[in-house]
Amino acid sequence: MAARRHCNRVYVPDSGFVVDYLDLIDAVQSVADGVLFGATYALLGIGFTLIFGVMHKINLSFAAASIGAAYVSLLILAGFKAPAILVFLTAALAGGVIGALVYLVGFKFIPLANPLATLMSTVGLLLLIDEIIVHSTDGVPLNYPALFSDVIIPAGPFNIRGDLVFVFVLGCVCMAVLLTLLYRTKLGLATRAVSQQPVASQLCGISITRVNLLTFVITGMVGGIAGAMTGAAIGMLSPLLSLPLTVKGLIVTVIGGLGSIPGAIIAGLVVGGLENFFQFFRGVTERDLYIMLLLFAFLVFKPGGLFATSAGRD
Amino acid sequence: MLDISDLVTAYGKIEALKGVSLHVESGRITCLLGPNGAGKTTLMMSIAGILQPRRGSIRLEGDELLGLSPARIVAKGVALVPENRLVFPQMSVQENLYAGAYQRADKAAVEADIERMYGRFPRLKERREQLAGTLSGGEQQMLAVARALMSRPRVLLMDEPSLGLAPMIVAEIFSIIAELNRDGTTIFLVEQNAHMALQVAHQFFLMEQGRITFKGTPGQLAEDEVIQRAYLGARRAG
Repeated sequence: MAARRHCNRVYVPDSGFVVDYLDLIDAVQSVADGVLFGATYALLGIGFTLIFGVMHKINLSFAAASIGAAYVSLLILAGFKAPAILVFLTAALAGGVIGALVYLVGFKFIPLANPLATLMSTVGLLLLIDEIIVHSTDGVPLNYPALFSDVIIPAGPFNIRGDLVFVFVLGCVCMAVLLTLLYRTKLGLATRAVSQQPVASQLCGISITRVNLLTFVITGMVGGIAGAMTGAAIGMLSPLLSLPLTVKGLIVTVIGGLGSIPGAIIAGLVVGGLENFFQFFRGVTERDLYIMLLLFAFLVFKPGGLFATSAGRD
Repeated sequence: MLDISDLVTAYGKIEALKGVSLHVESGRITCLLGPNGAGKTTLMMSIAGILQPRRGSIRLEGDELLGLSPARIVAKGVALVPENRLVFPQMSVQENLYAGAYQRADKAAVEADIERMYGRFPRLKERREQLAGTLSGGEQQMLAVARALMSRPRVLLMDEPSLGLAPMIVAEIFSIIAELNRDGTTIFLVEQNAHMALQVAHQFFLMEQGRITFKGTPGQLAEDEVIQRAYLGARRAG
């Protein structure tokens, strides 16, 4: 029996598509891990999407800033053994500060009417942040404290990794806080007003500059947490992370639908899951290829993404 | 109440307002007539602070508004119902009203004002949970007016409230304008529908190509031959 013979083998990617029971378990396990890790993509996607929502601009430096904030949080670990919560808090605060700086340098004094101007300024900031990281760490990856990595929750034939569960739960908490902020507070009302109808929001007495700045601070904090989550999930930080995360964040934003927060959440989890799915079946070298193909398919067949917002800018 | 003198606003090199001076009297309805492209909307946007005039002055009871941010101008007591209404389409009717009261901290009074708006505009009350983008044009206009009133303005500016609305709805909007004025609101209205405006306004200005070319009462307006031909479509005997 073919299935019997393969029962205990180690999976070899190029052995074809014969999937036996153990492989199936491994595949499900792998996809589940990916979905859990997808929470970081979801947070990054939310960051891109929120800034696009209020300013109708893409902030290309966002993922790099998020990794930068995670690096800053390593500083607090240099002195003493800080508790996990403090590390994440530092990352969030650093992210907020970097977010404000990005707004001031890359947006505040840039002619917003020119659609390319902020694209250029944020690419510049992306490179700048990358360079700062490379120079201050000599380009050597640094270890990041993995939280709850020793916790393994057995669930039937599956093992759920504690660090990924932590990342996922933290991601969900962030999203819940963000949605509450957006739909239950005055600041959220102002943010939505600016994104839907900038002129009318000014006529209501809302300061667009203030809303924009606060959006950058808040998304920066979310980004800082996402950066720290990435570090905690893979156990290290490297300047090489920022570009792939930028690409993933943008893919998630497009698949979810530009400006849609639920879209970014779902697309983040889906991309995380699919990434591991393709990695499991086709190997790590082909993984990103399929994600790109998925993006391509969306751009061709559903360019508005999963949750295209009907409210355009008019 | 509102004194505008020698106001110049330009888009690049093109001056849309070439030294506009006019006066809006307290407690009355002042109407600005004029053809498309005369600069009426530019004037409204300049008063509200969305556009930055080159020079001149805009005084609200002596206070200079020129150079203030739109938010500060709202705080001073000027609210604009913009052309095309510009409601927040993805927000509920009620949220639109809350947005109008954005600068106010007196929560209880805001709630009371929202109820007053629902009293004045019963149709908005029926649709309080509905997204503003799904309302009809007339309902959106009422919402835009109610939203502007939520800031408790001293002067209410209205930019073509009748634009794109069915005649019956236009009549309703104008009766609301008259009613608001009876309750003490000073109103500065831009309108192309001179017939409707004649029924409610106390004072008229005519703007052409960035300049004020006529000023007068409804009686004077109705007697002016040029205006009759151009704006009232006068039936000339013989």
